[in-house]
Amino acid sequence: MAEQCILVIGGGISGLTAAIEAAEAGYDVCIVEKNPYLGGRVSQLNKYFPKLCPPVCGLEINYRRIKENARVKFYTMAQVESVTAKEGSYDVTVKVAPRYINDRCVSCDACAQACPAERQDDFNLGMGRTKAAYLPFDQAYPMRYVIDAASCKDGCMQKCKDACKYGAVELDMKPETVKINASAIVVATGWNPYDISKADNLGMGKVKNVITNMMMERLAAPNGPTAGKILRPSDGKEPKKVAFVQCAGSRDENHLPYCSYICCMASLKQTTYLKEQYPDATADIFYIDIRTPGRYEKFYWKVRDMEGVSFTKGKVAKVENTEGDDVLVTLEDTLSGKKVRLAFDMVVLAAGMESATRQNPIQLGINYTAEGMIVPGSLKPGIYAVGSSKSPVDVAKSVQDATGAALKAIQSAIKLLPAGGVR
Amino acid sequence: MSEGVEVKVEDKDKVKVKELNPDLGFVKEVIKSGGESLKKCYQCATCSVVCNVTPDDNPFPRKEMIQAQWGLKDELFRNPDIWLCHQCSDCTAYCPRGAKPGEVLNAIRKISIQEFSVPGFLARMVNQPMFLLLLLAVPVIALLASGAGHIPAGPVEFGKPGGFLFSLKYIDPLFTTIAVLALLSLFMGIRKYWSAMSEAHPATGMPLGTAIKETVKDILAHKRFDKCETTKARSTAHKLVFYSFIGLFITTVLAFGKIILAPRTGYLAYFGYNVNVSASLLTGLVVVYKIIGNVSAAALITGILLIMSNRMKNAKKAGLGSYYDWLFITLVAGLGITGLLAELLRVGNVQAAYPVYVIHLCFVFFLFAYAPFSKMAHMFYRATAMVFEKKSGKA
Repeated sequence: MAEQCILVIGGGISGLTAAIEAAEAGYDVCIVEKNPYLGGRVSQLNKYFPKLCPPVCGLEINYRRIKENARVKFYTMAQVESVTAKEGSYDVTVKVAPRYINDRCVSCDACAQACPAERQDDFNLGMGRTKAAYLPFDQAYPMRYVIDAASCKDGCMQKCKDACKYGAVELDMKPETVKINASAIVVATGWNPYDISKADNLGMGKVKNVITNMMMERLAAPNGPTAGKILRPSDGKEPKKVAFVQCAGSRDENHLPYCSYICCMASLKQTTYLKEQYPDATADIFYIDIRTPGRYEKFYWKVRDMEGVSFTKGKVAKVENTEGDDVLVTLEDTLSGKKVRLAFDMVVLAAGMESATRQNPIQLGINYTAEGMIVPGSLKPGIYAVGSSKSPVDVAKSVQDATGAALKAIQSAIKLLPAGGVR
Repeated sequence: MSEGVEVKVEDKDKVKVKELNPDLGFVKEVIKSGGESLKKCYQCATCSVVCNVTPDDNPFPRKEMIQAQWGLKDELFRNPDIWLCHQCSDCTAYCPRGAKPGEVLNAIRKISIQEFSVPGFLARMVNQPMFLLLLLAVPVIALLASGAGHIPAGPVEFGKPGGFLFSLKYIDPLFTTIAVLALLSLFMGIRKYWSAMSEAHPATGMPLGTAIKETVKDILAHKRFDKCETTKARSTAHKLVFYSFIGLFITTVLAFGKIILAPRTGYLAYFGYNVNVSASLLTGLVVVYKIIGNVSAAALITGILLIMSNRMKNAKKAGLGSYYDWLFITLVAGLGITGLLAELLRVGNVQAAYPVYVIHLCFVFFLFAYAPFSKMAHMFYRATAMVFEKKSGKA
């Protein structure tokens, strides 16, 4: 029998919000999340702008609301496979990949300790490795380990199983298919950082101490690969001279033609991370235009007036290795009209946001822009797109958008019921 | 990094206020001349960074883009920078807005030739497709009037005594006059450009002689061209065409020398001077220029075909170019191909050699008569800018 619910595709901050708001209004909701944990990109952030508080508090509250509400059902490691379009009643097939660890897991780490294989730590954007049996991060929800079968071959999983005292490791777990009959669908597929190594002049992947803004979040996060200490990748040196390269891939027809909206605020925020850890450090922000829309302008003023922080108008268009693992950037300071070459300990590329539907479009009979973002006008009745699936947005806007979408989804669900009916 | 200049109140009289004269007609002309992407530029300065041929101080082409957007014609024309640009198109390839700075600067260069060359109306005609037939009619009519329509009987001969060339009545005075006028026009244009630059920039660099010497070295080695990345292959193609022009110039000089010196039939003999040149020297001369001429012709055709194919291949990254470019390319290609074809037909003793040769002469006329106004002038303006750059100490 198919599950009857409002389907939310994506368990990031937008999806969680839409799902919980609808559930708390009395409607059954199903979240389909492709990662083994909920929380999406927000769980990778060190702090929110402009308040500079850690996002984990907000996520914890959301997880508690899920635990207390029987109307929210979620599937991790799950992806929508097909949707049979029938207005207001969508038959959806969801594929759930095997986690190899069941709900008896108590997160004791024994399986990971026994596991002989390793995998790249994608939660930390490739900075470091984990065992093939791993907990995605220390505050993951659900708090349950997962085995990466592709990295754990030839009896490797058996070692994990032998180490588990709770019988939580299930080697014969198979992919599952879940049938859902959705009265409405909320698409909250979120975003991926743009692969900025495609810009061959910005040094990503070629120049040692060039990192992206999301990597900077992980370096500064207490549960990150350096336990929250900002250290440059090549030699673990404390970076005292850091450059932020704005519009790395954004506002660029060769990459992302649009403004990614959050990168200026992100770099300003990360400047505060740096200055907090190393008060004597300098931060150089190279920009085309500083875009801090609305009231965010105040945050810009605050960071601008910090000591050791300087802003230069001119896009960095060349990034190279130089002596002692330092990074040489070249730009034209357009206000003085001089081409300058400057060396830094580390360079942070403010890489833009790319809608996840670009790499992984959902077959809902809808239109995507050339850059893979959902065109809201092309959505069928009962389907709503939220957050960064439509346009680059920040967390605050995503949450507002998702709250509104919850109401729209409820309206679609009600149309299915007899007049005055409550579900 | 950039420090604002603070002006004290008491110094205000000393501050020279710079008056800007925006010329909106100029903006439209740039857009019309292949710079239609001009207004897309948002001044991020990626172009100045990826450019390998720009100086660090006041780099191009970012500032040229805003000057062109604002119609600051004088700023652009009184500066060597537009010609120091070799249109590598690295800027165009990396431009985040598709503003194609390489194409825009090319359009500005075209307009600057129009601005400086004398007489200006001829420059405007050369650069507009609507006047093409009219301009082409000049050599066609001149040649027909000289009797080029008449095909002689007997074995096919062009330059030998009694050959086809000798039957064309006005050909020598016509081509000589045209060459002199073209050189005069070029000289006047270059002089105007030089003084415009000298007014705007003080000379603090190397002496003129050294500057010229260094420039010649740069050009011969194609030093700047070799710094291009996006259009790397262009350097080889341009070298082939460049050196073939030098080769063909030498060929022409030697052939002309022979025409002057030849006993009995030469010009000197014609005017009553009896020169004693040994037959073996003359034969040697012919052999030498035949070799240089044929090698150069092969290089010219190879080079220009490579230029065409490079342009097509790079069209997406670097832009296809405009009428100004393609007129020049077509003329050079036509010149080479008709020249070689005429030679082959002559050797094969085919009568069609004559009309082909006449077409070849039309190409020669077009290329050199209109040289001060077409893209052909680029070599003179660019060389001048390179000398000026060194002399002014901008480099």
